[in-house]
Amino acid sequence: MAKIDIINVQKYYGSYHALREVSLSIKEGEFMVLVGPSGCGKSTLLRSIAGLEDISGGVIAANDQPVNDLSPQERNIAMVFQNYALYPHLTVRENLAFSLKIHKFEKSEIDRRIKLAADMLGLTDYLSRRPKALSGGQRQRVAMGRAMVREPTAFLFDEPLSNLDARLRVEMRTEIRNLQRKLRTTAVYVTHDQVEAMTMGDRIAVVNKGGIEQVGTPLELYRDPNNMFVAGFIGSPPMNFISARADGHQAVLEDGQVVTIPVKAHGDISIGLRPEHIFLDKLEHHHTLKCKESRHFDLGSSLQYFFDLNGTEIEVSASGDVRSHSGVEIQIHFDPNDLLVFGADTKRIR
Amino acid sequence: MRTTIQQPNSPQNGETFQFKPELLTLSRTWKPKAEEGRLRKMIFVWIALAVIVIFFMLPIAYLFSTSFKSPVDVVDGSFFPNAVEAENWPRAFAQVPLWSFMRNSILAAAFSVFVTLGVAVMATYAMLKLEVGKSFLPDMILASYVAPPIIALIPMFVLMQKLGLLNSIAGMVLIYGLMNVPVAFWLMRSFVLQVPKALDEAAWLDGASYFKTFFRVTLPLLYPAMIATGLICFILSFNELLFAQAMTFDSDSRTLPVGISLFQGERRVNFGQMAAASSAGIIPVYFIALFCQKWLIGGLTQGGVK
Repeated sequence: MAKIDIINVQKYYGSYHALREVSLSIKEGEFMVLVGPSGCGKSTLLRSIAGLEDISGGVIAANDQPVNDLSPQERNIAMVFQNYALYPHLTVRENLAFSLKIHKFEKSEIDRRIKLAADMLGLTDYLSRRPKALSGGQRQRVAMGRAMVREPTAFLFDEPLSNLDARLRVEMRTEIRNLQRKLRTTAVYVTHDQVEAMTMGDRIAVVNKGGIEQVGTPLELYRDPNNMFVAGFIGSPPMNFISARADGHQAVLEDGQVVTIPVKAHGDISIGLRPEHIFLDKLEHHHTLKCKESRHFDLGSSLQYFFDLNGTEIEVSASGDVRSHSGVEIQIHFDPNDLLVFGADTKRIR
Repeated sequence: MRTTIQQPNSPQNGETFQFKPELLTLSRTWKPKAEEGRLRKMIFVWIALAVIVIFFMLPIAYLFSTSFKSPVDVVDGSFFPNAVEAENWPRAFAQVPLWSFMRNSILAAAFSVFVTLGVAVMATYAMLKLEVGKSFLPDMILASYVAPPIIALIPMFVLMQKLGLLNSIAGMVLIYGLMNVPVAFWLMRSFVLQVPKALDEAAWLDGASYFKTFFRVTLPLLYPAMIATGLICFILSFNELLFAQAMTFDSDSRTLPVGISLFQGERRVNFGQMAAASSAGIIPVYFIALFCQKWLIGGLTQGGVK
């Protein structure tokens, strides 16, 4: 177990700036999720922690010891790859034993650790199989087992569930999380799926364009995002943003409708409102906006409406029966305290 | 009780089968047009294939036929010998030590394969996976592959002389072994690229050194590629004449192509015996091609599949 400190880390690929002064502290035993869109630099950051990428500047430290100059072999870090990276010519047992044999462990110790991992991951019946004779989920478990038997200082996961079908992904999410809780090993988990991030992470770091936008617990990021990117990325369906011009607590939309905002602001702003905070029935203290329905989808358990407000699409999650139809003007209601206000620089106005 | 099943149209007991022309027309019209088209296409493909095979087999057949011709028949130019002269075969083996030449060829080709693979597999891995030499080294290798071999003849001759390896099988092993490295590099290239980089990275994180990663993870995955590449390099070495002719001087080291060329005297060429020797000489490579087709085709088509 280790705490990992990433201090002002930079990474250039030629002239492309892949990591921009990234700083992040991962506590001992913590499950940290790096989430962001593709190409944002989250995998580069993970690979830099593993030592698979050299960094162009800054420091990466494990337990306060810089590891910049250590090779991947010397870092005692285990990684679970997106494509599992199991050795195809070796059986499951040999895959699990590979690193232990490299480190010249006693045979009895190797057997003990393999048995422990295989029992924990339900792989006991598959130990003599080759990876190609396993299903996707089983391969994923072997990859985890291979990381586990080493008892490393940290686990790194590089989008490990993206090759699995939706149902198995949900199952494996829980399994990985439970396993990490049991072993209490520090883990860094990369994903582009914000649901995965929200359900798995002790804390989440939202990565965008090579930098970290915000770090916090899933709820902190959901309730109190620092900027429009985090507000839009965390939460499903994503937050709606409505352009307006503010003067104090009053904001005027393009069509002249006025909204009371919870903070004082001046000039061009964006008002953020989550789909689950918009209602079709008016409650006390609720404010109202007029808009037009463009389409809706009945998902069975809920309804997904899309309304047009001055050319901006507003998504609303609702339950019950279908209440409106395409082209029909409708009123939507919300609690003004649920509004988030962002300035022209996309930063949150508090 | 025993039951018998009778075919509805089969002749009954005592009844003789009568030919009914309308049945024939019926069966002809019943066949769908698509099937007829497919059959016509198949016939065309078979004819085309037969023509191609005959075209490529003709020189071999002619060679084999010549090995049974008398000198007069050879000059005559007819395809088949007027009188079969089977003596060409024993005489060819009596005139020059063909068995020695064949042994030398097989030894030189077989051992050179180990040299080639030993160098090429590791070099390919280092260049493509560890990016040693960036794109410069692979380009250089391509350049050396494209260059005509004759330009290396004199420097190689001098080098072999300095090493005391002229006129020896060991010398030919070294020359062929190194000469085929570029070919092996280009054959191995797509196989090496097919091994995911994540496997190497997983092994590094598991604590394996670069050498251990290569030998324990990558190399076992390259065995099929190495067999294919080895076979192709064996055939190339087995057939090589230029270097063997310049660097071997007696029957202890001369290879089969050199031996065959010995039938070409200063004044006259004994075509019948030369053809017999050549026919004998192509047997080993034909056996390789026949029995190792699976690997050979895998090696040759790899680049195309990727």
